[in-house]
Amino acid sequence: MMDRYIEEAVAEIPQLIGVFLTAMPDSLLFSSWVREGTEWSAEDVAAYFGDLVRANRQGLKALGSWSSEMQVTIESAESLVVLRELSSDFVCGCVFERSAPLGMVRLHLKRLLERVGQALPEVQPEDRPRGTRIMEFLDRYAPDPHAVTLRVSLRAGISLEELKAPAQLSPEQIRRLEESACKILGVNQLSL
Amino acid sequence: MAISDLRGLFAEQSLTFLAEIPYVYHCHHYNLFHDQTIDDALGEAEGLRVRTTAAHNAFRELLGAVFEKSGATTPAERINLASEVFAWMGQGKLSLSVSPGGGGARSASLHYGYAWREKYGSRVKRVEPADAVAAGFAAAATELAFDLPANAMSVVEHKCLAARDAECEFALTPATIHAAKPAIDEAIVRRHVVPAVRGLDEDRIVQISNGLLEFMRGVAGDERGLVAAFNVFVAAHLPGYYNETVYEAVHRVERTMADSVPAIEALMREAGQVCVFSTFGNVLLSPEWEGLVGPPTGVPTDVMSFCTAIARGLGFGHWLIAEYQPHKRLVIQCTSTYEVPFYRSRYGLAKKPRSYFVQGAALAMMVLAESVQWTERPQLTNNYYVELFRSQPRYRVEQTKCLMRGDAMSELVVEAL
Repeated sequence: MMDRYIEEAVAEIPQLIGVFLTAMPDSLLFSSWVREGTEWSAEDVAAYFGDLVRANRQGLKALGSWSSEMQVTIESAESLVVLRELSSDFVCGCVFERSAPLGMVRLHLKRLLERVGQALPEVQPEDRPRGTRIMEFLDRYAPDPHAVTLRVSLRAGISLEELKAPAQLSPEQIRRLEESACKILGVNQLSL
Repeated sequence: MAISDLRGLFAEQSLTFLAEIPYVYHCHHYNLFHDQTIDDALGEAEGLRVRTTAAHNAFRELLGAVFEKSGATTPAERINLASEVFAWMGQGKLSLSVSPGGGGARSASLHYGYAWREKYGSRVKRVEPADAVAAGFAAAATELAFDLPANAMSVVEHKCLAARDAECEFALTPATIHAAKPAIDEAIVRRHVVPAVRGLDEDRIVQISNGLLEFMRGVAGDERGLVAAFNVFVAAHLPGYYNETVYEAVHRVERTMADSVPAIEALMREAGQVCVFSTFGNVLLSPEWEGLVGPPTGVPTDVMSFCTAIARGLGFGHWLIAEYQPHKRLVIQCTSTYEVPFYRSRYGLAKKPRSYFVQGAALAMMVLAESVQWTERPQLTNNYYVELFRSQPRYRVEQTKCLMRGDAMSELVVEAL
């Protein structure tokens, strides 16, 4: 249903390459559209966009300058990316061709977000277990994702069997899991 | 005497020596994964200590033998020669400024720090130094240059390329002296092999591995002391380093965290997979290989023979194909490996099979032979690695015989799940 809404909304924006709707707080893909011939992993892109907006929100809060109207614009060599929080539950990321004039992008974006925003459902976000979210975060960002379960098992002293059900880990195991994840990623804390 | 003149070959067993001390070739993907696993098992501080100690021990063995055979007697002569050997190995260009009371060392290009920054630097922020191997080398070179006893020098890397410093810097200071263990040299290695036997496609494998051994004779560090070949950074390295770190870490985990033994054994196997995928795979796709053997055919039996030849050409020992049924079963046997002499000399007989590296390598050889479209010349990226080893068909490996356990040879059986 939502996919069809996005398809209709993007029909008149020739320089748009992709739209990704991310459900927060878990940075999960809710819906997406990409131009034909584009080979992106929508799940991955949506997850990274969600994490980026969360980190941006925390950074701005640390500066005391956060507002719900916040928008992130990224100008890369090949594309122009705009990320916007539609509500506390959804983030929309739009990828335009780099040559698109910024004024036109803003205009298209305003219309597009209005249409998409109207079609968004009311949601009751579940508080998913922290162990599950840590393992998903590692899967997205660890440098050797093929080995990351083995690595955290060894570092945290949590058996491979127990890591198969991260939602069932004890608070002490979660603490060790998070500490190991921070070490593996080289960060002081996880942005979950 | 040129460094290359110090090389030796136990041809029947495909084992290589420098001044009669064993050496092998590994790429940076394997080396970084190996070190990472040691730190995962022991934590950063203890991992660094164990890795530095192992490198210190291994380079004392090598440099002691090199100085003796080349007749280097003065401190200046020995320091120069040690630095030349290190750069020749592809470990990096390290400037030593030392005296019997200690000193310092620095480098802008060390195999570990440089390669870590290249591979992971944009994704992970690292604060711990990465060059335990160079640190151990610097301590060993200083001790031997001034005829100091073993472990008279302690060393700390306080700046590192991997931690985004401009250069790697080391401080050497006098330390408490400990007795050195006897060196694992060619004579000891020869006591821990069994007579070589022929496997499938033996004549072709011998011919190719001899060609690769000859090619590797010409490989040496560039002006940075690094070897960039086959799309990877290659380094001549000391089995003493790999073996001491692996078995110290595994034994420690067995003693203190029994539940974690499956994880560390799986990671050590994974290191073997990483090696075969990255090193063997990139060798197979290289122009050098094409010049030696021809363009890739993609025929599974060819790939299997080629991988076996590469293992021998890199000095891993006499690996042979005992049985191969495409898509079903592979049996690799070894009459020698670079792990066995160290284990048997230091620890005696193993209670269970412990050739983790060959276990992972055998499984990866099956995957490379069966699942890679070689004629399409794929890029051997990290993403492709993940895709390849998570996709179907999947295989499992079991080591059914092990020289370390006292069996007649080592044997790895890979079967489709």
